[in-house]
Order: sequence, then structure tokens, then C-alpha cells
Amino acid sequence: MTDAEKLEVRDITRIERIGAHSHIRGLGLDDVLEARAVSQGMVGQKEARRAAGIVVQMVREGKIAGRCILLAGEPSTGKTAIAVAMAQALGNETPFTSMSASEIFSLEMSKTEALSQAMRKSIGVRIKEETEIIEGEVVEIQIDRPATGTGQKIGKVTLKTTEMETNYDLGNKIIECFMKEKIQAGDVITIDKASGKVSKLGRSFTRARDYDATGAQTRFVQCPEGELQKRKEVVHTVTLHEIDVINSRTHGFLALFSGDTGEIKQEIRDQINGKVMEWREEGKAEINPGVLFIDEVHMLDMECFSFLNRAMESDMAPVVIMATNRGHTRIRGTNYRSPHGMPLDLLDRMIIIRTVPYSEKEVREILKIRCEEEDCVMNNDALTVLTRIACDTSLRYAIQLITTANLVSRRRKSTEVTVEDVKKCYALFIDEVRSSKILMELQDEYMFNEIESDKAKDKDSIKGKGKDKDEEKPAEPMECGDN
Amino acid sequence: MSYANWLTLIRNAEKTSMISGKVRKIHYTFPDGNEMAEEYSMETGVVLRRAWKRKRELMGEPQWELELGEPIKNPAESNNFVVRESSEQPVLTKRITKKNIEWRIRNLPYPIETYSVTANPDTNNITVRTSNKKYFKNIPIPELDRCGAKVNQGSISIHHQYNTLIITYKKPDILCEMEVAVLRELQEVETETDMDDLLNDLLRK
Repeated sequence: MTDAEKLEVRDITRIERIGAHSHIRGLGLDDVLEARAVSQGMVGQKEARRAAGIVVQMVREGKIAGRCILLAGEPSTGKTAIAVAMAQALGNETPFTSMSASEIFSLEMSKTEALSQAMRKSIGVRIKEETEIIEGEVVEIQIDRPATGTGQKIGKVTLKTTEMETNYDLGNKIIECFMKEKIQAGDVITIDKASGKVSKLGRSFTRARDYDATGAQTRFVQCPEGELQKRKEVVHTVTLHEIDVINSRTHGFLALFSGDTGEIKQEIRDQINGKVMEWREEGKAEINPGVLFIDEVHMLDMECFSFLNRAMESDMAPVVIMATNRGHTRIRGTNYRSPHGMPLDLLDRMIIIRTVPYSEKEVREILKIRCEEEDCVMNNDALTVLTRIACDTSLRYAIQLITTANLVSRRRKSTEVTVEDVKKCYALFIDEVRSSKILMELQDEYMFNEIESDKAKDKDSIKGKGKDKDEEKPAEPMECGDN
Repeated sequence: MSYANWLTLIRNAEKTSMISGKVRKIHYTFPDGNEMAEEYSMETGVVLRRAWKRKRELMGEPQWELELGEPIKNPAESNNFVVRESSEQPVLTKRITKKNIEWRIRNLPYPIETYSVTANPDTNNITVRTSNKKYFKNIPIPELDRCGAKVNQGSISIHHQYNTLIITYKKPDILCEMEVAVLRELQEVETETDMDDLLNDLLRK
């Protein structure tokens, strides 16, 4: 990667917060889908990445509906990382819905409804339609927040073309869009009047000399001509779910903003499927099937699995990727035990990609990438120590230590993290193994340990979890819902 | 130069008509699914308002789009808008009189020298420009399209008063002829009287 490229990536990531997988930019495969050792934020796991590359290819071709892929492997072996990488590799155009299996358990919606919404969110439709848009250069933008901090924001924007100038009042929803797109005076923008979608076309040439310090990726465009409001044929990329919501009369398209969509009737879905097929035959629309990723899939219960069995047979089904870290375990909602906690008939319908534990060398590479991502300079010895810690405890614990050790080193005004900092943090923050050891030793000092018979049971379950004793399911330590 | 097409379209549309006060309202449903509504003055026979509801493939229910006449304020819309022109911005309204088509652009404070109104025979519309680059508008004239007439610069006259620019376009003969023909067609549509009138009659007795 050249320096310029690196700078650009930095520019983008700096604005966003650093997440567990924000360092991943792709699958890191070469032209013939062979996995490179370290590339695009991915390390090791060559077999799994190569397999994922083939799946990406399958999705891109878009011909096959309702295939199911299971990513199975031990905790922190990069299952979610591979899923994130696949999403990145597919690009913005392909819908990629990422959900955790526990999301479907809601009081407002039935489980199957949540699942079918998720599936329909993963099918994109590109539709050509004539809509009314406003296109112009921003002369002035003013967004007033009420002094109390709550209540409605008031927004005004002045737009111009080469021929005219108009003031617009902004509704509450669109103010959010303006802030998200970081629109400022001198930008050339379009507003879709019906959906309220704002997009930035670039900066006006007349403003080219205003600032010297514009990023390399700033695009300069001409100020539009003629009228501000015009009818234009635009290509919408909407998901089937969005069409469902728009056409369910009770809500209208405003429901899309509030997120409160409720249940959608099957008749509406059937109608829309028919309509979309019709459009496709007429050449008005193009179907753009995507990917539904269900993390922690063992949290789905029996009903969901059998629903999925059926739903995947529909020709409007997306490619479904699931991830689980369970071995032979009970299927939720039954007393049957099954591999990965999933019924055999569903397992039979999928192809399974296995992730394997990282080697010490790979762990070191991952930690290096994470250090870079967190802007943390770590010397070699410290990295070696950290790698050791990662191998003895867990990769996640070691990654947590990067952040904390970085803060500790900054406290003593050092430019780089040394072994001392890592050691200090290792002493300050105990990992899951040490924590459960302490618990076992000091069992009697803790609350609610009077009953002798419970002890043995507790000990068992403590082994599998961190400090949290009340939690019912044995979760992996330091897990924040995603692998 | 013929309005035969338009007349057949009107003839083939499913029409309902009713009288409310001094206005006759007619609703058309065309075979392609589009809808049109018109209001005629009972006294002069001139169309006061015309609106279209064009069928949309996506994005839900279509809205009524006003072609001519005074816009109807919808109080429900005032709070829940996405983006709208500020109230002090120029607004264009159109009306038809016996001899002319008139456009009024309110909230235009600039003197009359600022404006230039030109006819574009290519696109069959007229364009309003301002020399200070504050206002620009292409105004389509669907009436002329319907009777196949071309726009003519000589028929345009402009006038500025009370912050309002008034553009008057003298109707060509063929347009007047078409309006008469349409009215004749509408005579045959069965008309219901409004509930108000029925109530008034009852009260009188």
C-alpha cells in the first residue's frame, strides 16, 4: 500500500469510532481468490477466507437464491471478521444485513416476522423512477438547536443554481441527513423530495480557492443550471423490505424513518413479489440479491430453524451466512442435542466453513494491526509479551490490553508502549482464567454461597464464564455480542 | 393543430360529476390509471382548478398535483414535511379566464425591468428569468400541447404590481374552440347535486 492510499484510509476511519472489526477492509484475496497472508486487515485463516471468497463470487453473480453458509469455529477465531470482510468485499451496492440471532426475540414482533423482515432487507431492487429532486449549490445553511437542548431543531438552507436562488425550510428528519452528510456552504447537493434523501455531488468550482486544505478525494463540480427543482429519472436502490413498508397502507413511508414498521401482512409481500417480477420482465427493475448474516445463530430456536428451512426455498431468498461457536449442544426450544445447536435437516442444507485457532505468529500480526488501528505505537518486546498473553488467555483480552496500555504509556508521556505498560495493565485488569481461579479459591467469601450442593454446580459454570455469575447462558469472556 | 386526441381521452375517461355551491366538480379516471379533477364555475363556464393524480409504480400513494387554480392548504402537512420552500419565496399560481391564461408569481419584489419572459417554441413552454439571478422558471403550458398549438411570443404580456409579476398569455382560437368542445362533452355527464343543496331545500320546506 502506498503512502497516499494509507492516508486516505486514515482520513475515513478517523472520523468513525474504532470498533472491534473496523480494521477490516476486505477479504484480502488476490485475483485468483488465493488468500494473502496479511492483507486488508485480515490475517491467517486462509482456508476459510478462500471459501468466503467463493461465496462472495456466488453472491456477486446473484443467480442462486437461498443458499446457506455456516461459519463454525471456536470463539475468537475470526468468524465475524470474515463476515465483515465479505460485506466489505461485496461493496455498498449489495445489501448486507448483519444481525445477531438474539435480535429476533422482541415483544413487538413475532420471531418469524423479524426473520422474514431481515431476509427481505437483504434483497435489493434497483428501480428507475422519475422523481422530483432539488439540485443546487448550498449558499448558506443554518441549523438552530433550541437552547434547552430538547425539542425540534429548526433548519434553513439557501440553494442556488446559475439562474436562481431559493430558501428552503428543513424538516426534522432531513436535518439529520444534512448533519450526517456534513453539508456546508459551497457543496453541490441533491435532495430527493419524496424520500428526503440528501446526497453530496461535490464542491462547487467557485469555492475551489476557499480552502487550501481540502482532502485529495474532494470532487469539484459545476454549479447546476436552470431550475432548482426538476424531474429526473433516478435509479433507486431499495430493499424489498422498504417496498413492503412503503406499500403497507397503515404506515406509509414515514415508518421507514421511525423504524416502527410492525408486522407486514403476507398478502402485501406476495403482491410486491409479483409486482417486482413484473417490473423485472419489463426491464424497469433489476434484482440485486444480497446477504443476510446471522451471528450467534445457536440462539435461534427450533421454530426459527424450521421457518428458515422453508423460507430459504423461496426464489426471493438471499444468501444466508450464519456463524456459531457452539459444538455439540442442545437446540434451543427442544431437548435434542445436535452439532452447532442446529437441527440436522438445516445443517444438511448448508455448506460449512470452519475457522481454526490462530497460530502465535498470526496472533502477533493481528495485534500489530490493532495497534495501528488504535494509533498505538508498541515496541517489539511489548508486542511479544502481548502475543504471549494472547496465547495464554485470549485474543480479545490482549486487544483490550492494547487500549489500556496505550493510555498508561501516555500517562507517563512516553511515545511508545513498553513491556512495563503491558505488565502494569496485566496486573490491573485480570482476565477470565485468573478471575475464575480467584472465584474458586475465595468461593466462600462471596454472597449466596451457603448451600453446599450449589457449589459444585457453580464451579462448573464458572469455568465457562467471566465474572458475571447471574448470566444464564455460558458466554465467552469479553464478548460484546459479536465475534 | 387539432385537439382530437385530447377529446377522445376525455370521452374515454370514466367521469363523475357533482355540483357544490357555484362550482361543478368533475372527476376523471383515465384508462391508464391516472386521475384528473376539474372545477368549473357555474356562472362563466371557466375552469377554476385542475389537478392530476398520476399513478406511481413505487413509493406509495400518489399525491394530487395542481395544474391550475389556487392551491388548497393542507393543515396536516404543515408539521410533517421533509423539505419545503420557505413562505417568503416566490409562488406561482395559474388561472384561466375567458380570453387569457394568467400566471401570477407572488413575492417577487424586484422592478419590472428585472424580468424577461420568453417563449420557447422548441419545448413549447415559456421561461421567466431575472437579471439578478434570483428567480428562474420554465412554465409548461399543457393546454397548448393538448390542442397542438405552438407558443407565440407575441401573445405574452407582463405586468408588475404589489410584489406580484403577472404574465398574461392570450389564448389562441383553437384553444377556445377546444374548451367549448370539452364543455359540450361534459354536458352529457350525469350530475349529482351536492348534499348541501339538498339540505337547504329541505330546510326551506
